[in-house]
Order: sequence, then structure tokens, then C-alpha cells
Amino acid sequence: MGNKIGVYVCHCGTNIAGKVDCEHVAKYAGGLRDVVVARDYQFMCSDPGQDMIIRDIRDYGLNRVVVASCSPRLHEKTFQKACQRGGLNPYLMQHCCIREHCSWVTADRGEATAKARRIVEASVNRVGRHRELFTRDVDVLPDVMVVGAGIAGIQAALDIARSGHRVHLVEQGPSIGGHMAQFDKTFPTLDCAACISTPKMVAVAQEPNINLLTWSEVVDVSGFVGNYTVTVLRKARYVNEDVCTGCGTCLEKCPTKVLSDFEEKLAFRKAIYRNSPQAVPNTPVIDAAHCKMITKGKCGICQKVCPTGAIDYNAVERREVYHVGSVVLATGYDTMDPTVMSEYGFGRFEEVYTALQFERLNNAVGPTGGRILMKNGQPPESVAIIHCVGSRDKNYHEYCSRTCCMYALKYDHLIKDKVGHHARVYNFYIDMRCFGKGYEEFYRRVQEEGVTFIRGRPAEVVREDGHLVVVGEDTLLGMRVRVPVDMVVLCTAMEPRRNAQDVARVFGVSQGQDGFFLEEHPKLGPVSTATDGVFLAGSCQGPKDIPDAVSHASGGAAQALALAARGHVSISPTTSYIDPEVCIGCKVCIGLCPYSAIEFDERRKVSVINEAMCKGCGSCAGYCPSGAAQIKHFRESQVFDEIDGLLGMHAPEGPCGESAESSANVQAGEPA
Amino acid sequence: MATTVRIEAADGGVLRGMQDFLGRLLASGKVGGVVVPVHLFGKGMPMPTLVTDPEGLGRADPLAPAFPLNGAKLVSRLTRGRSGEKIAAVMRPCEIRAFVELVKLNQGSMDDVYIIGVDCHGAFSNTDYPRFVGEADPMAATATFLDARAKGAPGEGVDIARACAVCEHPVPLGADLVVAVFGADIRDHVPLMAASPRGEALLTGLGLAEGSENPQRAGFIEKLVAERMANLERMYAETLESTSSLEGLAQHLSACVNCYNCRVACPVCYCKECVFNTDVFEHQPWQYMGWAKRKGSLKLPTDTVFYHLTRMAHMSTACVGCGQCSNACPNGVHVMELFRTVAARTQASFDYVPGRSLDEAPPLSVFKEDEFQETVSHLAHGG
Amino acid sequence: MKTEFEPTILAFVCNWCTYTAADLAGTSRMVQQPNVRLVRMMCTGMVDPKYVIKALLSGADGVLISGCHPGDCHYMNGNYKARRRVRLLKEILPLFGIEEGRVKLTWVGASEGNEFAATVNNFINEIREIGPMEARSMAIV
Repeated sequence: MGNKIGVYVCHCGTNIAGKVDCEHVAKYAGGLRDVVVARDYQFMCSDPGQDMIIRDIRDYGLNRVVVASCSPRLHEKTFQKACQRGGLNPYLMQHCCIREHCSWVTADRGEATAKARRIVEASVNRVGRHRELFTRDVDVLPDVMVVGAGIAGIQAALDIARSGHRVHLVEQGPSIGGHMAQFDKTFPTLDCAACISTPKMVAVAQEPNINLLTWSEVVDVSGFVGNYTVTVLRKARYVNEDVCTGCGTCLEKCPTKVLSDFEEKLAFRKAIYRNSPQAVPNTPVIDAAHCKMITKGKCGICQKVCPTGAIDYNAVERREVYHVGSVVLATGYDTMDPTVMSEYGFGRFEEVYTALQFERLNNAVGPTGGRILMKNGQPPESVAIIHCVGSRDKNYHEYCSRTCCMYALKYDHLIKDKVGHHARVYNFYIDMRCFGKGYEEFYRRVQEEGVTFIRGRPAEVVREDGHLVVVGEDTLLGMRVRVPVDMVVLCTAMEPRRNAQDVARVFGVSQGQDGFFLEEHPKLGPVSTATDGVFLAGSCQGPKDIPDAVSHASGGAAQALALAARGHVSISPTTSYIDPEVCIGCKVCIGLCPYSAIEFDERRKVSVINEAMCKGCGSCAGYCPSGAAQIKHFRESQVFDEIDGLLGMHAPEGPCGESAESSANVQAGEPA
Repeated sequence: MATTVRIEAADGGVLRGMQDFLGRLLASGKVGGVVVPVHLFGKGMPMPTLVTDPEGLGRADPLAPAFPLNGAKLVSRLTRGRSGEKIAAVMRPCEIRAFVELVKLNQGSMDDVYIIGVDCHGAFSNTDYPRFVGEADPMAATATFLDARAKGAPGEGVDIARACAVCEHPVPLGADLVVAVFGADIRDHVPLMAASPRGEALLTGLGLAEGSENPQRAGFIEKLVAERMANLERMYAETLESTSSLEGLAQHLSACVNCYNCRVACPVCYCKECVFNTDVFEHQPWQYMGWAKRKGSLKLPTDTVFYHLTRMAHMSTACVGCGQCSNACPNGVHVMELFRTVAARTQASFDYVPGRSLDEAPPLSVFKEDEFQETVSHLAHGG
Repeated sequence: MKTEFEPTILAFVCNWCTYTAADLAGTSRMVQQPNVRLVRMMCTGMVDPKYVIKALLSGADGVLISGCHPGDCHYMNGNYKARRRVRLLKEILPLFGIEEGRVKLTWVGASEGNEFAATVNNFINEIREIGPMEARSMAIV
């Protein structure tokens, strides 16, 4: 049976039709080989648009369909499904892009139309070679892994666990809570951070469906959507979690002091430590690099004082393997180390603090017991808060960190509240971005509390006569300013985790230019990634405040749950296939396959694809000189015909005029 | 010091000595068969023959200047899987190197074959060999050829094949035993040298007199290789000049009729079925019309330049320069010249010498993270 | 001023990075010359050297192959395999007068819409400089 192709050219309102003469393109397509109907329509993705295809499949007996509209990354599935509803195998449809790659980027209408013509012609050429392909359904393992147990990871894990699915929650630190556990108050409501996060942390510990794996890291991921095998490295804690009661005696007696990362190096912890008395789990961990017993074999005090015998200096790391259906990445962010911006004096002047350090000064269990005191033990009489340190700065990060304006306002209020109304607070800002619910109201309130706002990025912080002076320009007044203060707080940028690249590689996700993990689509797929079954939650995708991180996390959890609840998933049939009649058994493809998806059949002496493991990358097909290995849907004949179409097989190259006289939108014969 | 024995030039000359040696090998039971060129049919072409009975060696001509096909594919066929017995194969250097490439591609195995490599003076093309032999007995012709070549004064009146004249690898590499023809007085004896522990073991107990490598051999090789290299450079220059444009290439290939004999004869074209023989290249009538219209006219059969360029991409890194492509071409296309010229570039680019070592993976079968940075452009930044 | 010669360029681009970047360039309305036509591949690792040869012999004046940055390949290492294949083509094709600059391999990540647009425009300009491909008018393929 010959091919009967239907071609559908979408106007996308004026998005395509504004630059491409869609009627002309449809008319041109109608004259191409095997095309029996060609139409243009306002919105092909709409119900009437899809129905048009379905109707034509029936009326004209179409066995191939070409849709020219937006990027296939957006709507290929939409039109595949439409074809399926019309009774046509979805892989007999070719979706081509005349919007993102044509109408939106071409200046000249004639050129855009000519280009669209070629794109459509290539698809018509290619689709003739398409073959029916059938997706396979595979079961989705019910368990989910959540990586990172900050507020986003916690939220995702709780959402999933409460639906009845088991969650393995992996956290690289000794306890959960992430950065939120370091805060004292949250904007704009000024809730006590601990009061809202601690119950959630406890809920994690008490939730029977959550398998909490702290002090652990994911080191390997294999498999595919629905069937991931994840290897988790359980680092040696040296304290037996099952035996430890969290009494804390060891922490008191340990003689070794180490600067605490959790306290942002404002205080010491011991070599055996936990981040806070409220830590979940509250089992301490021994810092092997500093523990004298582990490094030198001398001490052993904690073991002696431990009432339950939980200390084990000989503990070793171990690997555990988990089988999960999907993964939620919630690995969070780091804050920028402002030492590199030497003009602001961090590291040189001890009264210059980072935002996270300032959080700890405010925290009731922090180094100052929640009082805002400088290193000399005195409260500051005046504070400068410098916004956008490393953010919105071409030299560091072009993006806005999205949280600094609001937490700076929170600091303004806290200083007024804790130090007293007489304390002077100066905000050096570029723009105030107070876009969230209740944020603008909070801004107004803080303004009314008598805080000073100076628009302009300061040039430097200097010390004069024992005082810090912030030197800058008030760009609204057009005046240079020199503001002497006791204390400076730097609103440092939120950055991708320093090991984000390693995490991206392990999980097979991409990073955007900013280094944060890349979502599938910036608007319509903000929690999915290009890797099926790996979802994002929270600030690993980009800077977020707590409400955004939590909602994003619930979104990621919902995606993971949708997979798990359905219980099975369709696997793309566009895998490789090795023709045993053609394969000579050279085994090169086996070495090139990144997924170990090719096995050698010793009896037949040919290579064989394991379709469950093949992801269709084409490493084998790209090598195989005989063409025995081919990717279904990217067969040589299909690509060749697409190339021919793009180069214009049917009509000589030439200018493409407007088809002003064409008014009909159907170029077709009578229905069959 | 590796064992060297003497293959004596008995009354029938050194060929008789070779036959005697191969006969002893069979009689020893160390091998079940030997692969050696034999004049099975009177004065015709000596063809590689699997001989299991020493009686069958009477017309064996292991040093004949005839090269009807590259034996690597045959030996690969004999060693893909197990016969249960070991064999010995007399091979030219280019056959051995091609075989090594095939073994890398799982097309054969070194395990069950002893390779007896011969110093190679080259051979005549398939059409020239009968002209060279003329009315003479082919075995006598072989002796004449070796004699003349040893003196460095070839006076055959017929040139050896161009591929041989430009071959810079006349000495067998990767063999177990080497028949050290170069520099030897073949009217007296030819040294047979063990070149591997397996070869060493094969020689013991054969009852051959101990000998030594001819002291003149190294000098002979040096002179021969220098001569060949000079020829090669000349050939590169000529080929590069005549094919420096697509039109030049098309002209070079203008007599090609897409018979694909060159790839059938090519020892390293290992595919069972060439992609150009598959339905991918079975075009539709309207496609021919489309192409013809696009260009105004279309040479038929199509895909000639495409075929050769693709074959260069597929096998030039493995090309051993044996010249069988040219030998097999019915229309006299200088395929070898073209492919050797390309191979010189591609092999140098990947620092790859086909047949050099079994441990070297074919260039396109592997990759490194940190390599060929210059291959990547940075167009966005005008680079 | 436009020259007489309007090059035709085929680009074999990876679905996960450069194709996405092309989408982004479109969404961001980054104007490009219309001479480049994309062939969507799942990975540069599936770009058979035959495709490049076919394109050049069938009338393309240049071929772009664009994939993920090193370390970012959606399929772990397809881009490295592509790099060797392009290396090979860059050795072979120039021998026959096909300028090395007609075949380019670039890395353009999914978020690099501006890089994509610049890559396309710069490549077209480079091909304009090189001039039309001989095979355009040659009766042989």
C-alpha cells in the first residue's frame, strides 16, 4: 500500500503565521509526493486542531501524518496521542518545528516561509520511511528516593511517605534540616524557624515509611525510569545509631575543639558533635579528621564515658543498594564565600559578617544565644546590610538570588527589635524585590521602623579610625556616600552546591549555565528533568525562598507519586536494534555502549540489544559500518530522506513569494 | 638468542626446502594443517590451500610472487571458532597485519594458528603474474624472481604491483616464525627464525639444522624500505595532486561501476553485508528523478563517490596497503593509491598503525575524555 | 549587502542540549539567518559519518554537529565518540578539496540559547566566506 500522508501546518495564532505564510506552506506540501491532504489551521494543538487530524485519518485513510508547528519537545506527544486516537500508530507521525527554529528567529517573511517549506518537505520525506513502533510497559517500583534532607527534601519525603509509599531519604550531613535549621526567624511572618521546621524534622524521624539515611551519599545510579538501582555510601559515623540515646555526655567530655561549619565558623564544636541539641537524628558523629583516637590512637574518652557503648572507632563505611522507581533531587544550595570580593573586607575585618553568620547570631542556640553581638561582645549601634553580594553581578553570578531582599528586611527588623530602636540600619540595594505574598507589606512595615535604604552597590568597605565605613553612591540622589557603621552584613549569593557537577553526572541530569540543575521546561516542566523519573525539588534547581522551595518540593513529590501510583510506565520504543542477519559479531558496539545494553550471543555469534537497558543513544549505530545496528525511528534511510528533504528534493531552490491569492486552507483531493 | 634454523636449498632449490619444512611440521603432529599457496592446477595461479597431507605439498610455492587475494580473511575464517586442531599459515606481512586487525574485531583468533611470515619482495598483479611466468614452470619462475630480487637487479620485464612497490612493511611483524629471505643466498639456504615463544616451541624437534640470521639482512631491509618509502612519497604526492578537488576525485573514480569488488577483496572490510548493498541504497525512481533535477544531470549508478568516501571513513584507519582493492578492480581504478593516501592521514591522526599490536584498539571503537580539543569549534565566540 | 551565494547548512544536533538551546533561542526571539536547517538526533554519538558525507554530496555547503559539553552528555559519553568521528572526517574530506571548515563540531548546552544563535550566524558567515560546495553542481554523488 502506498503512503497517504496528511500535512498540518499550524499558525500558532500569529506566532507562526506572523512570519510564515502558512497557507502557502500547506499548499506547497499538498503538492509533495504521497501527500493526500494538507491543511493549515490556527491552533493545531487545540481540540478542533487535533480532531481535524483524527477526522482526516479516517476520511482519507491517512497512514502518515506530518504536523508542522512548535518544537517537538513541546507537543510531539500531543500529536502522537491524537494520531493514536485516530487509530494510527503514533510513530507514523513526524512533528517538525517551524516556530522556535523558523518563524520566531527569521527576520524576513519570505525567507521564513521558504525555510518552513523545506522543514515540512523533509518531514514528508522522512515520514514515508517511518515504521510502526510499540511502546513497552514496565512496572514502576513503588519506592522513591529523595536526595537531600533540607526543607525541600523533607517536604518531598513526607508527602510521598504519607501517601503510603516508602521513601529512602539520603542526607550527606549528620542530621537533617538543611539551611533552614540554621535560621532563627523566617520572613515575612517572623515565625520562629525552629518552631516550624523542628516538627517536620521529627515527623520525618517518626514516619514509618521513611528510611532516613543521614551521613550518606549516593555514589551510583543505574537503570531507567521505574527501575533505578541506587548505591548509597553510608559513611562511617563511629557512633552506633541503634544504641546511642543522644544523651550528649560524649560531646561534653570530648577534649578536641573544631570550628563549626553549622555555626558558620563563629563557634567551636567538638570532634564528636551534632549540629544542635534538636538535631534529627540526635546521634552525634565523629569527625574522623580531628578525632585524636582515630588519627593518633590516643584519647578514647567518648568511648569511656558513653553509657551505652555506642562508640565504635573501627566503624567502616559501607554501601547499600536500593531499588526505586524514581528519584527526587533536593540537594539544595551553597552560599557564596565573599572573601573573593575583597573590597567588602570579609575575612579582613572581623565585623563583616555573611548573612548566614548573622542568622546564627540571631539563633537562640547559636554562639551568642540569640543576641546580636559582635566579636567584641558589644551589640552594634549601626549596621550596613549590603544586598546582591555576588548576585546580579557579571563577575560572579548574573542571576538574582531571590531571597536576599527579604531576609535583609528581616535583619532590619531584628536589629531594631533586639538591639533597640536607636540602632541605625542602612540597606545598600540595587532594587528591592518583594514579590511574594505579604512581602511588599513587610517592606512597608520595615520602612516605617526607620530603616535607611540607599540605592546603589557600595564600592568598598574600609576601616577608618577603628570604624568600618561603607563607601558608595546613592544613585537616587546622585551623591557619594560614606556611612560609618559598627557592623556589615553581606547578603551573599545562593550558589549551586560545590559538588553539583558530580551529582549531575551520577543522576544524569543537566546543569544550566548558572550551574543549577536544569528543569525539563522553564515554565511547564519546572520539577521534571530530561531524565525520566528524576525530579527536582527546591534550590538545587535555582534560588528559592522557603515557600517556593516547599511548593516546588511538593510538586516534585507529586510527580514521583504519579509514577508510583500508576505502577507502570511506557518505555520509548526508540531503542537500538541489531539485525542478526547483518551483524558480523565484531563486538565493537558492546564496548561503545554506555549502558551495557548489548550482549554477545555466543551461539549465533552476533550482538544482541537488551531493550530494557538500551536508551537509544545510537553509540552502536554511529559506529556499525554495516548498518546492522540501527536506532528505531532514526534509521539510516529515515535520516537520509530527511537530509534529502532539507536540501530540497522536489523543487528547485528559489525565492518563495507570498501566496496572496490562496484563500482555501485545504489542498486536497476528495476523501477516499 | 632466539632459535634460528636452516631451510636448506636441496636439489629442488629453496622451495623444496620450504616444502620439506612444512612437511615436517605436519608430520610432527604439532599442526593438523598448513595454509600455503599451491599450484593445484598446472600453471595457474597459486592459491592458498589448506594442506593436511604432506603429499599435497609437492606443488606448494610459498614464496611465489603471486598475490591473488589477501589471505587474512581466509585465516580469519579458519580461526573463527574451533576446529579442534591447530594450523600453520604462511603469510605475507600485509596479510598478517590485516589478520591482526580482523582478530581485534573478533573475526578470528591467534590461539589456534601459527603464523609463518615471509620476507616479502612483493608480487605481481593478477594480470601481470601470468605474463611474468610466461612459458616457464611457475616454481622455477619463483626461484628466478627471488634470485633477481636478491641481487637487487630485477629484470623481469614486468613491474611488481604498485602496492608492493610502495610497501614500507616488507618484513613480517607479529609472526611466530619468519622466513628470512632478505639478504639470504637462497641457492644455499634460507634462515627460519623463531619470533615468538610459540614459534620457538614449534621449531624444536623438527630436526632442522641450526642456523643464524643472515648478517646482510638488516642492510638489505634498510635499503629496500628506503626505496619503497621514496616510491610511497611520490605516490602520495601524485594522488594528492590528482584528487585535490571533488571533481578530481570523481575523475579518479570515473571508471567505477559500483561492483564493490574492492571491498570484497579488502581484507579489513569485514562486514558481512556492506551497507551500500542494503535497502538503504535501493532508491526509488522518484528519488533518482529528484536528484537529477536538482543537479541537472545525474551519473548512474549513483553513490559512487559516496561509497568510496564512506569506505574511507569505515576502514582507512585499518588499511594495510595490500593493494587487493586495485587488484580486484575490473576497470583499473587506482583504488589502492587513493586509500593508502587517505589512510596515511587518518592513521597518523589517531597515531594508529594497523597490525602493529593486538592491544591497540581500532580508533573509532574507543575514546578518551580529554583528546582532540582542536576538533571542537567554539563558533559562538568566533573561534 | 547580501552576496549572490546563499549557503545551505545542515546541523545534526543533540535533542538534549543543542536542540533545546535552539528552542530557547527561538523562545527568546534571537534572530538567525535562515540558512541552517536542523536534523534532530538523540545524541551526537548517533551521527554516522555517512550522514555528513551524504549531506555534503547532496548539496549542503556546510555541516554542523552540535552536542553537549564534555561531561554533560545525556548518554554519558556520546559526544566523545562524535568527536573522534568528526576528527576522522576532518582528515579525509579536506584531501578532496572539501574545506575543513565546512564540517564543525561544537558543544552548545541546553540553556545556551544565545550561544546557539551566535553559533548559527557565525557558521553561516564562515561558509559564505568559503563559498559554495563543489558538489552542488556536480552530476556525481
